[in-house]
Amino acid sequence: MNILTLQDVAYSYEGSKKKVFEHLSYEFEEGKIYAIVGRSGAGKTTLLSLLSGLDSPTEGSILFKDKDIRRIDRYQYRSKYVGIIFQSFNLLPHLTAVENVILSMDVSGMKYKNKKEKAMELLGKVGLSEDEARRRVLKLSGGQQQRVAIARTLSYEPEVILADEPTGNLDKETEDEIMGIFHTLAQEGKCIIIVTHSQEVAQQADEVKKLSCK
Amino acid sequence: MYVIKNAWKNVIRSKGRNILIGLIVLVVSISACISLSIRQAAESAQEDGLENVEITGQITVDRQSMMQSMGEAGADRSQMKEKMADMEELSVEDLKKYAKSSSVKNFYYTLTTSLDGSNIEEVSTSDTTSSDSDMQGPGDESRKGMNQGAFSLVGYSSEDAMTDFINGTCKITDGEMFEEGTTKKNCIISSELATYNSLKVGDTIKLVNPDDDSETLSLKVVGIYSNSSSTAGENGISTQFQPGADPANQIYISYAALADAVEGMDSIRTQTNGTYVFADQDAYEQFKKDVEEMGLDNTYTVTSQDITSYEQSLIPLQNLSKFATYFFVVVLIIGAIVLVVINIFNIRERKYEIGVLTAIGMKKSKVCMQFVAELFIVTIFAMVIGLAAGSAASVPVSNQLLQSQIESQQEQLSNQEMNFGRGNMENGGGNRQNQNITKGGFMAQTVDYMSDISASVNMTVIIELFGVGILLTMLSSMTAVIFVMRYEPLKILSNRS
Repeated sequence: MNILTLQDVAYSYEGSKKKVFEHLSYEFEEGKIYAIVGRSGAGKTTLLSLLSGLDSPTEGSILFKDKDIRRIDRYQYRSKYVGIIFQSFNLLPHLTAVENVILSMDVSGMKYKNKKEKAMELLGKVGLSEDEARRRVLKLSGGQQQRVAIARTLSYEPEVILADEPTGNLDKETEDEIMGIFHTLAQEGKCIIIVTHSQEVAQQADEVKKLSCK
Repeated sequence: MYVIKNAWKNVIRSKGRNILIGLIVLVVSISACISLSIRQAAESAQEDGLENVEITGQITVDRQSMMQSMGEAGADRSQMKEKMADMEELSVEDLKKYAKSSSVKNFYYTLTTSLDGSNIEEVSTSDTTSSDSDMQGPGDESRKGMNQGAFSLVGYSSEDAMTDFINGTCKITDGEMFEEGTTKKNCIISSELATYNSLKVGDTIKLVNPDDDSETLSLKVVGIYSNSSSTAGENGISTQFQPGADPANQIYISYAALADAVEGMDSIRTQTNGTYVFADQDAYEQFKKDVEEMGLDNTYTVTSQDITSYEQSLIPLQNLSKFATYFFVVVLIIGAIVLVVINIFNIRERKYEIGVLTAIGMKKSKVCMQFVAELFIVTIFAMVIGLAAGSAASVPVSNQLLQSQIESQQEQLSNQEMNFGRGNMENGGGNRQNQNITKGGFMAQTVDYMSDISASVNMTVIIELFGVGILLTMLSSMTAVIFVMRYEPLKILSNRS
């Protein structure tokens, strides 16, 4: 079943008539990993912004389970249905890894018996030790922070995970570990959409969609 | 709620900034606490004080109004003089008639006259006394009825009229008070007079009409009283030429006895004064209407020194209250401006945090709530400490400030007195009595300024103070709200990348 559908989507930046892309029609299914590739300036990150509800297309529509996302409360959309993993992680540096995950649970309104325990479980699932989980994120490496970002996204069990260059700042070994996590999540039925420059990452995807510059 | 939990954590995390905010709020709350306490005390003093002040009124000749209307009618000086000569104070019977008004709670009256001493001498700081023949100048016959005696005789209708005894200025130190309403010629004299003339209880004093030596009056001393205001010249009244005005030379007797005594004295000058006592200001105002309906001529007017005096006594307090209000407003405005500026910098610093929170799905309204909650937590803490400090300081500070206001008021009046040649004249010259006039002179001495107020913190002040705290929080967090609502997470996070 298509969980996300783009129907003739076009986008141009505010104040500009030039379109970044147009006539984009894609379909994304549950349980698959998609790679969105293209040259710099093709609009990959922009597409992810549209899919996450952080921005709106200038033409066309984006459907989540056949419902236009403009009709869904965008805060609820981002806190319950769609998870975003940013290239620069975008964690709150003054909080620990556990606290970042718990914050996400609070925002999404997830009811767990013991949020801390659940957060530690999620962090463990992405490969963080208990000691690392209790550290402030500033004191974690890039790879560890990326894992925290993934755990934060998983905290509210979204159906779609959008990842913008998730391995861009990481070494090869860590990249493989992160991709391993994504494969596991896809097997659990989640739709993973990854924006990437990396050919190796693209090759691991079930489907590659290429954006070309206009 | 997680918003409050996060707000608390953020308050603890950013100690430096929040201590700064707390200090500003603390200063504002201490100032507000003291200012509000002063205002509250001033309002209470005005509202409640007048209820506790016994309001008395008199019916007097309205000479000013009479002259004004005659002047407008084109009357000349001789006509005005004739009219003034015709005007008389109301008789006791007339005064009693008006006392029947339902607004009157109590009524008493006095009869005053002045006599010279025959076997006693008045207490005086002058070298000459009434017994000296030098005192009688040329043309005595023509001045008949105009000579002032050395002693003032005051006849009281009841003890209610003897306010100096009621307020404790005078006290019987030997013997007893004369009987109320008696016609017996019993009197009480001051302890100074008794000592000066070696008088004791049971002695008889003889007084004589200053205009007619044949008219005499013998009184038996039944009591001796002390007068705490009996220092010569203390009230700024020149007693050298009016020894009868000296409290030491005042002899008290019952009204009935004095009325009986002066009945036989043709040329004696007497004055009758009636005092009406009212339950409150409304009753006083009603009385003014009642007497008009009862036929009081418009050449007479009802006046009350109590209301005027009470309002006068509140002037320093009212000035202090105004000053406190202005000070409070200024401190509040400055405090709010500083807090707004700090908040602007705070929000700009935490732009990234706002971007992340909104990106992960936190509504902007909740982000605003979190920032407001942080500020509110700090404000509450600072307000509680400010309230405690303000409570401790409000009474001594307000009394100190009130004292300054009173001194300022007295200084002002003293300067006015000096313009008239009265007041402290250190370089000699002038009347000796004037040098005894203390700061403020005669005019200030007649006003008993309210010098001690209960500017303590009560529930009203606490509620007002927390209202101020909420207002301050809302004002200064307004900037946070505006900025958060304007920020777009995508822009924030893109810029950061």
